[in-house]
Amino acid sequence: MTDLLSITIPELILVGAACVLFFLGCSRRTAARGVAAWLALGALLSALVVSVYALFSAVAPVEMVSGSLRLDNFGRYIRVLGLAVGVILLLLAWPTRADRTGNSALRFGGDVGEFYAMFLLSIAGLLLVAVADDLIVLFMALELLSIPTYIMVSISRPIAAAQEAAVKYFFLGALSIAVMLLGFSYLYGSTGQIRFAEMSAVLRGSMEATGALPRWQMFGVILVLIGFAYKMAAFPLHFYAGDVYEGAATPVTAFLAFVPKTAGFVALIRLLTVVGGDHFKLPPQILTFLWVLAALTMTIGNVLALLQNNVKRVLAYSSVAHSGYMLVGIAALFPHLQRPDPRPLALSGVLFYLAAYGIMNCGVFGVLMLLPARDGRDDSAETFEELAGQGRRHLGLGLGMAVCCLSLIGIPLTVGFLGKLMLIRPALAGGLTWLAIILVINAAVSATYYLHIIGVMFLRSEGAVDEQGLSGEAAMRRPQFAVGLGVVLSVIGTLLFGAVPPAAQILTYGAELGAEISCAQPIAPPATGPGRLAADSP
Amino acid sequence: MAYLLLMLLFVPAAGAVVCALVKDGRFAKGVGLGASVICAGIAVALLFGFDWKDANPQFGVSLGQIGPIGFEARLAVDSISLWLVALTALLQMLAIASSLHGIRERVREYYGWMLVLLSAMFGVFMARDTLLFYAFFELTLVPMFFIIGIWGGPERRYAAGKFFLFTFSGSVFTLAAIIYLGLQAGRFDIDVIVERAKSLPAGTLIWVVLGFLVGFAVKVPLFPLHTWLPLAHTEAPTAGSVILAGVLLKLGTYGILRFVLPMGFVNADLGVLVKVVGVLCVIGMIYGSLAAWVQQDIKKLVAYSSVAHLGFCVLGLAAINLEGVQGSILYMINHGISTGAMFLVVGMIYERYHTRDINRLSGLARRMPVLAFFWILFTLSSVGLPGLNGFPSEFLTILGAFKSKHLGFVYGAVAAVGMVLGAVYMLHMAARVIWGPLKTPEVETEDHDQEENPLPRDLSGWEIGILVPLALAVVVIGVIPGKMLNTFREPVIQLIGNVNAAASQQTVVPDAPVIAAKER
Repeated sequence: MTDLLSITIPELILVGAACVLFFLGCSRRTAARGVAAWLALGALLSALVVSVYALFSAVAPVEMVSGSLRLDNFGRYIRVLGLAVGVILLLLAWPTRADRTGNSALRFGGDVGEFYAMFLLSIAGLLLVAVADDLIVLFMALELLSIPTYIMVSISRPIAAAQEAAVKYFFLGALSIAVMLLGFSYLYGSTGQIRFAEMSAVLRGSMEATGALPRWQMFGVILVLIGFAYKMAAFPLHFYAGDVYEGAATPVTAFLAFVPKTAGFVALIRLLTVVGGDHFKLPPQILTFLWVLAALTMTIGNVLALLQNNVKRVLAYSSVAHSGYMLVGIAALFPHLQRPDPRPLALSGVLFYLAAYGIMNCGVFGVLMLLPARDGRDDSAETFEELAGQGRRHLGLGLGMAVCCLSLIGIPLTVGFLGKLMLIRPALAGGLTWLAIILVINAAVSATYYLHIIGVMFLRSEGAVDEQGLSGEAAMRRPQFAVGLGVVLSVIGTLLFGAVPPAAQILTYGAELGAEISCAQPIAPPATGPGRLAADSP
Repeated sequence: MAYLLLMLLFVPAAGAVVCALVKDGRFAKGVGLGASVICAGIAVALLFGFDWKDANPQFGVSLGQIGPIGFEARLAVDSISLWLVALTALLQMLAIASSLHGIRERVREYYGWMLVLLSAMFGVFMARDTLLFYAFFELTLVPMFFIIGIWGGPERRYAAGKFFLFTFSGSVFTLAAIIYLGLQAGRFDIDVIVERAKSLPAGTLIWVVLGFLVGFAVKVPLFPLHTWLPLAHTEAPTAGSVILAGVLLKLGTYGILRFVLPMGFVNADLGVLVKVVGVLCVIGMIYGSLAAWVQQDIKKLVAYSSVAHLGFCVLGLAAINLEGVQGSILYMINHGISTGAMFLVVGMIYERYHTRDINRLSGLARRMPVLAFFWILFTLSSVGLPGLNGFPSEFLTILGAFKSKHLGFVYGAVAAVGMVLGAVYMLHMAARVIWGPLKTPEVETEDHDQEENPLPRDLSGWEIGILVPLALAVVVIGVIPGKMLNTFREPVIQLIGNVNAAASQQTVVPDAPVIAAKER
C-alpha cells in the first residue's frame, strides 16, 4: 500500500483539499470563505512540487504499478502539465472582490468553497486519467473530471445562458459517457479483461492470430473513440462547444478548453496503447477513422469559427480545430510503410501541443476577462464590438492578446509555432502527407479569424463609449492582480518556450520523455489463455 | 565580429521594447532613429570587416539550439546576404527618417513596430538555419500588418488583412516542405537541407520545391499571386511602402535564390518547372507594365512597376547561369534603392498636396525643381538608363535569359519588350507629373498643415538628406557595377557549379568578358 500512496500523493493532496473546501463552503463567515482560493492554490502548488520532484528524482524512470494504477513517464508528464496549467487556470478564476467573492468575469456568489473544490476535483480527475490502468479506474477518473465541470459551468455566473450551457453540457456529456460505456462493455465482453495490460495481450493476440481486430472489439474501440471525442471537442461530438463555451463564465471556459480536452487525449492515447501495444500496431481501419476524424475536426472547427461574431464562440470552435491538429499527431502514431518509426515523434508532438495549447489559450481567455464590456455591464468583453479599439486603450493587454493569438495561428517565436512543427513532423514522417497539407491549409484559414481579433483590437477605433459605460467601468475596475498574473505567466510562457532555445529544449525533452508510455505488465505475465479469446462475440 | 550580427538582431529589438515602455512620443522617435542609425553603422562596419575573397558565410554565431528537433539558431552572412543586410539597414534608416514628420498618431507603437520589422528582416538574411530563416520570414508579417493597418490609407484594414493572409497562406506550404526536408536530413542547417534535397527522387523533389516556391512566389510576387501587392503598397504609409517594396519583396527572391535555385532549378529533371516560372515572370513583366501604364495613382503605378521588375529578377534566377543570377542579385539591390526612393518621393508629394492622382498633378518641376531632379533621376534609374544602376542588372538578367538552357530566345525577347514598356509607363508618368503646365490641387488646410513647422514648397533639407544617399547609390552602382558584381561572384559560382554537377552536364565556363566589359 505504500506503493499506492507514493503513486497518488498529488491526487490525494487535491482531493483532501477539496474536502476541506466543501466544509469551508458551509461556513457562514466570509473570512473563512476568503481563504478558499488560497487553500486551492496551496494544494495545486504543493501537488505540483511533488510531481516535479518525482519527475526529476526518478533518474532511471521507473514504472510503478500498484493495484489499478500505473505511473509511467507519460503519467508524470501529464501530471506536471495538468498541475502547472491548473495553477494558471486558478489564477484566472481568482476572486478579487470581497463583497461578491468573484472577479468581474466569474460570479459564483456564496458558492466559493464549492467552486474551488470542484476545480480541484476535476484536476485530480485529469491526473487519475493519466495513471489509470484499468477500465473501471479510467471510467471513474473521467467521471471525476467531468461531473465537477458541469457544476462549475452552472454556478459560474447567475445568468440564464450559463444554466442553459450547463444543462446542454451535462446531457451531451452523459450521452457521450453512455456511448463510451457501451464501448467499454464491448471491450470487456469480448476480452474478458478489465486491466489494460491483460486486455492488451488479448487484443494483440487476436490481432496476430487473424491479422485484424475482431468485429465486436473494433466496434467497441470505435464507440470509445467517439465517447472520447466529446471530451476532446472533436468531430462527431463537437457541436456543444459554441454554446457551452459562450454560456460559461470566461475562466470556466478556459478550464473547459484545457482540462477535459487534455483528459480526452490522454485517455485516447492510453486506449490506443491498449489496442496496439507499446508500438501502436493498430488495425488500418482505426488509422483511417482517425485520419478522417482529424481532417474533419480541424476543417469543421475552423469553418465554424470563421462564422462567429462572439469571440468566445470563435475561441470555442478554434479549440475544436486545435483538437483536430492534435488528432493529426495521433493519426501519425501508426507505423507506416516501413518508414522509420514515427511513434516517438507523434506522441511527443501531441504532448508538446497540449502544453502549448494550454499555455497560450489561458492567455487569450485571461485578456478577454480583463477587458471590460462596453455597455456598462458588470462583465467582461465577449464580442468583437466590445473588443474594438481596446488594444489602443490597454496596450499591454492588447499586446498580450496579440502574442497569444499569433501563437495560436502558429507564427514563429511563439510556442504555437513549435507545436505545429512538432505535429507536422510526425505526419510527414509517417507518410500522412495529405493530412499534413490539410493541417497547414487549416492553419492559414485559422489565421483569418485570429487576425480579425487582433485587427479589431488594434486597427479599429473604439465605438462610442457612453458615459455610463465609462463610469461603470471605473467603478468596477479593481486591480485584478491575480488574473493579470495569470495572463503574464501565459504570455511569458508562450514567448519563453517559443523563442528561447534552452527553454524550448526543456519542453521538447519533457515531451519526449513523456512519450515513454507502455502498457505491458511488468510484474506478472498476463493471465490469458486461449479460452479467453473465444469470448469474442458477446 | 560575430557579435555585430547579434547586435543587428538585438539593438532594434531592444529599441522596440523601449518604444513600448516609454510614455513620450518624441523619445520614441529618437529611439527609432537612433537604433536604425546604429544598425546602419553596424552594416557599414560589416562591409569593411568582411573578407570579400572568401565565398563562405562569415561571422558565424550560434544563439542556441533545440536538440530534439535538430534546430540551431545560427547566424552568418555571405556576400549576397551582406549586401541585402546593408540595403535593409540603409532603407530602414531612411524610411524611419522620412516618417518623423508624417506619422503623428500612435507614435510609440509606430517606431516599435518599425524596429521589430528591422530586426526580423535582418534575421531573414542572416539565418543559416532553415527554420530560423522561416521564423524571421514569417515574423516580418506581424509588424507590417500593423504598420499598414494602423497608419495606412482609407482601405488600410482590408489591405493589411489581405497582405497577411496571402503571404501566410503561401508560406505554410513552405513550412511543410521545410519540415519534410528537415526530417529527411535530421537537421535544419541550410547547406545540409539543400544537399539532402538534391538526393531526393525527382517525383518527391518536385513537391518539395513547389512547396518552397509557393511561399516565395506570393512574397515576390509572381504573376497570378500578385494581387495583394498593389493594394498593400498603395495603402501602406510611405515608410511601409518603401520597406515593402525595397526589402520585403526581396525576401521572396532571396528565398528562391537560397533554396529553390540550388534544389530545384538546377535539377535537369525539373526543367519544366524552370520554364513555367520563366513564363510566369514574363507574363508578370508585360502584365505589370501594362497595368502600371493605365494607373491614375502614382503610388499604384510604382507598385505595379514592382510586379514587372520582380519578374526580371526571378527570370534572372530561372536562367541559372552566371549572368542571370548575378544580374538578379544586383537587381534585388537596385530595385530596393530606386523603387524605395520613388516611394519616398511620392510620399513627399503626397504630404504637400494630399493627392497622388496623375490628373490633378502637373508641372511640378516649376514649383519643386529639387524634387523634380530626384524624381527624374530615380525614374531613369528604374527605367534602366545606361550609366545608372538599373541598366547593368536589367541587361544581365535579359542576357542570362537569352543564354539559358531552359529559357532561350523567346523569353529574352519578351523581357526586352518588357524593358521597353517599363520605359514607356515611367516616362509617361514623369512627363505628365513633372513637366507640362503647373497644376496642383488646392491644398486643403483644415487638417494639420497649419501647425508649427509647415513643409516648405520644395524639399526641405531633411528630405534632401534622405534622398541623397539613394541618389549616390544609384550613380555609384551605375558607374562601377563590376566591382559590386565581383563581390558575389564566388557564391554564385558555387551555385552554378552545383547546377552543373547536378545536371551532370558540361561546365559552362562563366563568361568573364561580359563581366569585364561591364566593369567600365
